[in-house]
Amino acid sequence: MIANTTVSTPLVTLVGPPNSGKTTLFNLLSGKNFKTVNYPGSTIEYNSSHFLPKFDINCNLLDSPGIISLVPSSPDETITINSLYEHPKFGIPKLVIVTVDSSQLSRHLLLVKQLLSSNFSVIIVLTMADILKKKGFTISASMLEEKIGCKVVKIDGRTGKGIEDLITVVKQQLQKENDEVTYLNKIVPNLHAENVLNHFKEIEAIENEVVNQIADEKDLRRANEKLTTLSQKLQSKPDSFTLKLDKILLHPIWGLVLFLFITGAMFTSIFWLALPLMELVDESFASLANLASNYFGYNWYGDLISDGIISSAGAVLIFVPQIVILFLILGFLEDTGYLARGAMLIDKPLSKIGLNGRSFVPMLSGFACAIPAILAARTISNRKERLLTIFIIPLMSCSARLPVYALLIAFIIPKENFLMGGFIFSFIYLFSIISSVIIAGIINKFNKSIIREEDNSSFILELPAYKIPRFSSVYRNTISSTKAYLKEAGPVIITFSIILWALTYFPNTNPQIDITNLSPEEVHEVQKMERVSTSYAAQIGKFTEPIMKPIGMDWRIGVSLISAFVAREVFVSALVLIFKITGDEETLRDSLLNAMRNAEIEGTNQKLFTPSTILGLIVFFVFAMQCLSTVAVAKKETGSWRIPILQILIFSGFAYFAAFITVNGLRLLGFA
Amino acid sequence: MKTAANLNFGEKAFITAIDETHPSFRRIIEIGFTPGQEIELVNKSIFNDPLAFSLRGTVIAIRKNEAESIILS
Repeated sequence: MIANTTVSTPLVTLVGPPNSGKTTLFNLLSGKNFKTVNYPGSTIEYNSSHFLPKFDINCNLLDSPGIISLVPSSPDETITINSLYEHPKFGIPKLVIVTVDSSQLSRHLLLVKQLLSSNFSVIIVLTMADILKKKGFTISASMLEEKIGCKVVKIDGRTGKGIEDLITVVKQQLQKENDEVTYLNKIVPNLHAENVLNHFKEIEAIENEVVNQIADEKDLRRANEKLTTLSQKLQSKPDSFTLKLDKILLHPIWGLVLFLFITGAMFTSIFWLALPLMELVDESFASLANLASNYFGYNWYGDLISDGIISSAGAVLIFVPQIVILFLILGFLEDTGYLARGAMLIDKPLSKIGLNGRSFVPMLSGFACAIPAILAARTISNRKERLLTIFIIPLMSCSARLPVYALLIAFIIPKENFLMGGFIFSFIYLFSIISSVIIAGIINKFNKSIIREEDNSSFILELPAYKIPRFSSVYRNTISSTKAYLKEAGPVIITFSIILWALTYFPNTNPQIDITNLSPEEVHEVQKMERVSTSYAAQIGKFTEPIMKPIGMDWRIGVSLISAFVAREVFVSALVLIFKITGDEETLRDSLLNAMRNAEIEGTNQKLFTPSTILGLIVFFVFAMQCLSTVAVAKKETGSWRIPILQILIFSGFAYFAAFITVNGLRLLGFA
Repeated sequence: MKTAANLNFGEKAFITAIDETHPSFRRIIEIGFTPGQEIELVNKSIFNDPLAFSLRGTVIAIRKNEAESIILS
């Protein structure tokens, strides 16, 4: 491959193994200003930015995903590594900055060796010298420079000390006359194993020369004290605090108990912390919608703006608090080093159903929202396990189901009975977790016809030393996950909400009603309901009658269930429209519950909502694949329509079947 | 033949070879399990799988079947 040095803006790429301080360096060099770019046609993400103006370097700065070797082991890694050699948008890097953890020299220099033998122009940034010092050792940057044959700079990620030195070196390297054509050699995989072993031998020799015991008397004494208890090769011993803490956190019994406690606490806090914020979003959009309809008047475009656009934007934004809080907490747990332990603890049970310890975080995220959860599955390198994880994520009880369950539970349990309501809520969660485990197991059994991928299952994961989390590294992931949610879910929900609005608004746009004794607002509300019951949506809904009848329901629930395909929580607002509920915000739910209690299946005296149909609906929502944004994201992330279509057929088909069994089973047992 | 999967808690041993036929062979050596290195079993997950080894100044968790490809002296 021939380096093209005529690219307008030169490119500097950051490379480094996971946990080597790469993200911290990227933040130091670029500030918090970055753009997430996808490698065209794939899910590999790069963060691109520029050097801070004060550094006076006019270059693109690219952060690449963490890798330990230049030889790929998965399809995703192939793309990551190929674009390191030549990025389709930014070209060939003029300079590669590699982060190397000083206390992990013997492992992290492998990547440096490979980059150098590929003829990249490399600068090594040594990080975490403080950890090495704590172990009683120091590293000589100039010695390393001499031995390995490229520039080496030490940087303290916490204080930013050393960053000026790095900038000077970067400038020097960029200014170097680079007239000769550079050839980048790809590492040949079949020669690779031998190469790696040779590289390691060289690295171990280098390490012995550049890492030295601290000569300072006080430090030396401290180091000597440790020496008496540890082996002679002190720097090859992991952080002792980490080892001690792991004795508890990875304990076969207490580790598991704490794991369940930590994840449980995380969940609860997500819901409690997000609740007031979600209410705030809800209320502000409701008043915004009110404001709009007052301003534009009660006509079709006023209605489109308030009911169609503003309400659907609210429906998108209402989940932002939960997503932000979830990713902040996950980010902090990740940054402390705990998530890697969680993945290790849960790997064995998950591998029984064809998943991987790494499926744990995406599945957990699925309890907030399936969209960022499916995106988080990118960290699973095994393709089969990744697809299976994506496949079952929609079964995790996402927060859009909450308003639906809340309404349905309120119908069967009186308001005063908090305890019972809470109990049923927890039961629904437990039920959904157990059934998704069973379903994952079944789908894994039929792997050949459903997922159609076979891959060597592997779990090799570094358990990094525990450290105090830092906001700057957590912040980035939270922002990009939230952006991903808004980008993926936003347009889909808004578009389909507008279509749904149109279906409930037309063709009878100006229904004739009796307006005596009614205020303008009331006229508007009554007109709205009249419009719905004569709308296209109602006409389409009548077609669902034959499907709804076997599960003891009618077309009105059918229409609401169709609406729930936009997003599950739309089910509630669709019921409000269809059951012609009016009233102010406070009593809206009570009036809906009342209307539901009085509703009868059309043409009969039979009640529409009974304990058995309510339970049937809950069961339906547990399993059904309903969210269009999830379908869109699943298509994008799996690269075809096959998986999302199978999800709809299998999950929604099973949901219908399970609802049928529930309703008719309960009726056979004598329940209403 | 003794492998990393047979180590007891806190037991140390030197790696003599890695089974080249194991599907994860390359990943195992790339992360640092190479002949001549000393490893110690520091933790086991529930059901004794995966296993966590101290290696080259850090802790690496691998599955039991992967540990079986690491041959010890």
